[in-house]
Amino acid sequence: MLETYFERINEIPNSDKFIQCIQCGTCGGSCPYGMGTLFTPRRMILAVRAGIVDEVLQSGAQWLCTSCFTCSLRCPSQIPITDAVIPALRELSLLEGNPPEELAAALMNITRYGNSFRESPRKRDRWIKEVDFEVPLISKKKKAEYLFITECFGAYHRRCKEITKAFAKLMDLLGTDYAILGNEERCIGDLVRLCGEFGLFEDLAEKNIRVFEKYEFSKIVTHDAHAYNALLREYPRFGFKKEVVHHTQFLYNNLEKLKEMFGKLDYTVTYHDSCYVGRRNGIYEEPRAVIKAIPGVKFVEMKRIKENALCCGGGGGGVWLDSFIKDHIKERPAESRVKEAASVGADVLVTACTLDVPMFEDALKVTGLEGQLEVKDISEIILEAIENS
Amino acid sequence: MKVLVFGEVVDGTIQNITYELVACAKKLGEYLTLVTSDADVSSIDGRVIKVNAGETNPWHYKIVEKVIERENPDLILFGNTSSSVDIASQLSAKLPVATSVYEVSAENGEVIVKSLSYGGKIIVELKLTTPAIAVVNVGSYNAEDGKGTASVEEIEIDELGVRDGIEFLGYIKPEEEDVDISKAEVVVSVGRGIGDETNIEMAEELAELLGGVVAGSRPIIDQGWLPKTRQVGRSGKTVTGKLYLALGISGATEHVEGVKAKNVIAVNTDKTAPIFRVSRLGIVADVNELLPTLVDKIREIKEG
Amino acid sequence: MKICAILRLVPDLVEEIEVEENEIIPFRYMPNERDEHAVEEAIILKEKTGAEVEVIGIADSENEADLDEGLGMAAAKGADKLYKVVLDRPTYKRCEIAKALADFLSDKNYDLILTGIQAIDSYAGNLGGILARYMDLPYIGGVVEVNVSNGNTIVKKELGGGLLAEYKLPLPAVVSVVSAERPLKFVPFTKLRQAMKKANIEEVELELPEIEGVEVLKYEVPPEPEITLIEGDVEEVADKLIEALKELSIL
Repeated sequence: MLETYFERINEIPNSDKFIQCIQCGTCGGSCPYGMGTLFTPRRMILAVRAGIVDEVLQSGAQWLCTSCFTCSLRCPSQIPITDAVIPALRELSLLEGNPPEELAAALMNITRYGNSFRESPRKRDRWIKEVDFEVPLISKKKKAEYLFITECFGAYHRRCKEITKAFAKLMDLLGTDYAILGNEERCIGDLVRLCGEFGLFEDLAEKNIRVFEKYEFSKIVTHDAHAYNALLREYPRFGFKKEVVHHTQFLYNNLEKLKEMFGKLDYTVTYHDSCYVGRRNGIYEEPRAVIKAIPGVKFVEMKRIKENALCCGGGGGGVWLDSFIKDHIKERPAESRVKEAASVGADVLVTACTLDVPMFEDALKVTGLEGQLEVKDISEIILEAIENS
Repeated sequence: MKVLVFGEVVDGTIQNITYELVACAKKLGEYLTLVTSDADVSSIDGRVIKVNAGETNPWHYKIVEKVIERENPDLILFGNTSSSVDIASQLSAKLPVATSVYEVSAENGEVIVKSLSYGGKIIVELKLTTPAIAVVNVGSYNAEDGKGTASVEEIEIDELGVRDGIEFLGYIKPEEEDVDISKAEVVVSVGRGIGDETNIEMAEELAELLGGVVAGSRPIIDQGWLPKTRQVGRSGKTVTGKLYLALGISGATEHVEGVKAKNVIAVNTDKTAPIFRVSRLGIVADVNELLPTLVDKIREIKEG
Repeated sequence: MKICAILRLVPDLVEEIEVEENEIIPFRYMPNERDEHAVEEAIILKEKTGAEVEVIGIADSENEADLDEGLGMAAAKGADKLYKVVLDRPTYKRCEIAKALADFLSDKNYDLILTGIQAIDSYAGNLGGILARYMDLPYIGGVVEVNVSNGNTIVKKELGGGLLAEYKLPLPAVVSVVSAERPLKFVPFTKLRQAMKKANIEEVELELPEIEGVEVLKYEVPPEPEITLIEGDVEEVADKLIEALKELSIL
């Protein structure tokens, strides 16, 4: 078992740092689930060194991780905990055949249908029939400057689809030369990778790249933070070399044009740094600049911001581990986060990752903050500002 | 057309499906019911043949064969339930059969049925040459129409000359707290719109009146108002019964994934609540106001 | 001990099925879920008793490729031998399979034959019971746990509403499974692909007899249940709700 573990670890960049762990405990101290687990990353590494992986797997600690990247960023030895230490443990769990059921179902669905929702791959483009403007398909257009990747949540999830529509509308208003893959798109797979299903991730990456190669485009734009991360950091290993733009960057780059369209919004807004926009990929200022540019908006900061922002709990397969995680912790991170947003007087919590919105809206119900605080993606508040002019 | 109904007995009690099948048979012509276990059969309408062959058992198909020989029915009706299907499926090695049937009719001596197949997505209309078997879904006919006074003929098992090959060892009864909501026919499910914990009791009373069980959406389970075993949705269970009554549930994607009941009725204050998209009937109302009135009215009907 | 589990293909309901009056055209096929549970239970019995497990996949010539994933999954979980039975049949009714299968199984000397309790397309008969009668073996369905000892099988059968009953059957026997004792084991992608590559699959063609007595008159799509939204005062809506409950014969 240890052999399989190290074989996998060794394939991941910088995992040689593994041996440099000084057992300082920064990781466990930084972990949103640190107090709910028997094995913090520090103790996981210790257990692997001691050859007692079985005990870690039995405790389920490998699933108590939302891949928020705080431990990895703070680790003084720069050990790739989020990308290597934990996913490789998860892979062992998958090989044993008994991951948490909800997660197993999601992975099976992605294998079979290319999305976690058990929806027909032929319905991936259904959302374009729900908008009042034309969304171009690259199969028809053949060539575009931007290829817009909606990813599974953006294509199928009832709430997240609204974000997709809002961002597409903005591109439409800006006259952007863009197109979508429609039903040729399939799961980009960042969560699959972080869940330790490396084989499936490789298969997805290879298939997606083969589709990308059919068409002419110069950049990819996406509102899905995990798709952004995988396309930027993982896909190059499989030969994909194009520029990848997150929608916060895209909006920032078009800010002058947007400003001309803005009306006034009477909101007190706070911004949540999503893990794979902020901490993992360093995009902090662009979304703030865009929000602050909306006339009438009062911008307030929460206490935990930028690289110290608290995770929504949805990443790393967290969206498929809800009941498992709830058994181990008292309060979900999303619940703590919406309370924090409310405590600084915000009436809108703006985010920039599709996973955040359903996670936070759910937390509003549990905490009773529904009606007091609203959750919007950055593209939704921008569109609202434009429509208010 | 002469119809033989297979009466289902579980743990000494005639099951409701038996009356539903009699109701169906009545519309087709002459009918009689066969019961192969000991139970009170007095409320089954019409002729009843009773053979006391012990607890419900798949080998009872041999008894049915003997009664078919004796009575020569054109059609034999079974309920689409665990123990009846055991028998129907063995008999269908010799006789034409249709399963998942919800409508039976007779035309020129032939049996025409409608079957709800492919997970309820396609209706298949079938013609069966007689004698034939139809396995009928629970709830397709009204049980009240099949109730009446039985005229019972008892036959000793020895007279039929059939033997037992399979041994019944005993029942394993569920503990009260282990209700499996995924198997319940009626599920009364509560969400955040229920307000506070005291309303759960009222939902429980409603469920009891409707012969169902109480379930909930995640926020309710998280609050500890209902046990985890009662959670509907992606991280809980999938309900597949006849009715899902959603009270104050908005219907997030994660929740709706677990709602596969044949009929969904939703009560919500928000007209645009997504739960209405998967409902057959939507009621725009505050659950807290509606529940007490509803429970009172149903109690009256039940007692009345 | 030698066990076999039957794995049928059924239309994948996630995809829309084209429905015409005299035929249906599924977009693609997938393993019948109940049969996957039968395979799982066979694997569990292998773990319990060391039994040899053979999985018999059933497909038509036009969809046999869709069977490979299910068979690969069975192999990855530990099935010892795989068959791919390709049917040659005149119509798409489901009752004839049992007859042909009974002949095919007759010389295989299985102690236990497991099938799923039903398939979504088995509107003209459930395989398990018919198979048992053609093979003259004891049968039980609706099973959620199978144990084997001293030439018998002791099974737990679901009777609805959470009630279970235990039965003893002499072996050999045919048992139809509702669900396996544990959730279906997860098989990671790489392991599945390796198993599919290595799997030793014996292909068999079976000709099906035409069995008279059941004729499909037509297929049709059920009318969409339209949502009726009711608003009004509490008394009024409560009455309407009660009416609806009566229509569903719940009240």
